[in-house]
Amino acid sequence: MVAGGALALVVAGATVLALASRGGTEAWVPLSAEVPANDPLAPPLASGLAVPHPQLLAVRDASTTSSWAPVVRPLRLRAAPSATAAVVARVGVSTPERTANVVLVTGRTRAAADLWVPVRAENVAGWAPRASLGGYESVDTRLEVDTHALTATLLRAGRVVFRAPVGIGTANAPTPTGSFYVRNRLTRYRSPFYGPVAFGTSARSSLTDWPAGGFVGVHGTNRPDLIPGRVSHGCIRLRNADIVALARLMPVGTPIEIR
Amino acid sequence: MRLELSDLDRDGALREAAAALPDETRKDFLLRTLAGGGAALAALVLAEPGRAASKSDVEILNYALVLEYLQAAFYTEAERRGALRTRTARETARVLGAVERAHVRALREALGTAAVARPFFDFGGTTENEPAFIKTAVAFEDLGTAAYKGQAYRIDSPALLAAAISIHSVEARHAAWIRYLAGAPPASSAFDEGKSMPEVRKLVASTGFVVQGPRTKARAEPRFTG
Repeated sequence: MVAGGALALVVAGATVLALASRGGTEAWVPLSAEVPANDPLAPPLASGLAVPHPQLLAVRDASTTSSWAPVVRPLRLRAAPSATAAVVARVGVSTPERTANVVLVTGRTRAAADLWVPVRAENVAGWAPRASLGGYESVDTRLEVDTHALTATLLRAGRVVFRAPVGIGTANAPTPTGSFYVRNRLTRYRSPFYGPVAFGTSARSSLTDWPAGGFVGVHGTNRPDLIPGRVSHGCIRLRNADIVALARLMPVGTPIEIR
Repeated sequence: MRLELSDLDRDGALREAAAALPDETRKDFLLRTLAGGGAALAALVLAEPGRAASKSDVEILNYALVLEYLQAAFYTEAERRGALRTRTARETARVLGAVERAHVRALREALGTAAVARPFFDFGGTTENEPAFIKTAVAFEDLGTAAYKGQAYRIDSPALLAAAISIHSVEARHAAWIRYLAGAPPASSAFDEGKSMPEVRKLVASTGFVVQGPRTKARAEPRFTG
């Protein structure tokens, strides 16, 4: 052990931990220190790799990164992190297109008797048992749909990387507003109505009697002349060149804000 | 000396690297890595002209990369989930995550397009429960240290050996750090033994942390409202 001093474990720009020995008691003491990118005490690195400097997660990571997880066991979404809390929804393991159903993780895990994860599942927010979810994946993208300006804007790490005009729902079948997320990505289907690529979302149209639950998609079209406009049954339509460009940028799990 | 990407490698090193993965992810890995059909597989070339990295070295780098993916994903997820109880554990995850991500970047840069794709992971709540986090971190750091040691004698390139040793010693420091947090002796034996690839693969597979990715893409007719 270190006697009468501190052994700092150093990462640039980080809060570092030091093993300190004071008055015969030893403890891990968090220290704040600014450490230069190149440690002046370190010998030059003579290795075969170009070794980058360790980078902490950016402060803005929490505001620009979202996590999602697949549902691996059918679950009851609860109003609180407890097995006795009210059930707010039942969530299955697959979507109407038979892809894996996924939920958006909206906050920190709560440890009670078991682990509970706050999620948005389809249209409902609640607490899911951790054991019903698979591994977490992260995305740094967010799609914003402006139903007034009739545009879709994709942000990556908070920066705009894509914007295009859209067609949205008519007055009788309006596109729902709120917070949603991308559930799946479909290609090579027969119908030209949806264009070359279609994303399934967690948003539901007011057309609740629609087969398969009336979920809203983000997809291409065989009627580009109607875009921009209020022309759909709730779905968000893009011209085919735009949906192809969006498909290169937008992963499953991307949060969607429709306002 | 610096590793650079230049020549092409069609000798099957990637397929051998795939063997490092559990069965269910192997096909997925190969498909993703080989996507684009006919895309050339790049090999490492040392700065000395005409000295291509050996097939064995590419295999070892990819093997190391899978382990670094595992560690980086573990600490990054622990930090993002924010569920660790003590500040010490949270700071440990934060700092170790930064270092493991640097290892991933270094290995990916060295391998170029020969780098294996990141597998999917399911840590099953161990990133969200502090005692489980610390136990798992001890296991990962001990494993990482033993894995690098186990390959040292197999590495052909002196430059790559120097790189591997520089990472190995950092993994050993991490192991000592996290063992101290766990209340375990940081170093209890005079000599450490390495672990072979099969031993490491078996241990990683036994955790169940490397999983088949969820099927979220399909060739299926949309059932949206349109």
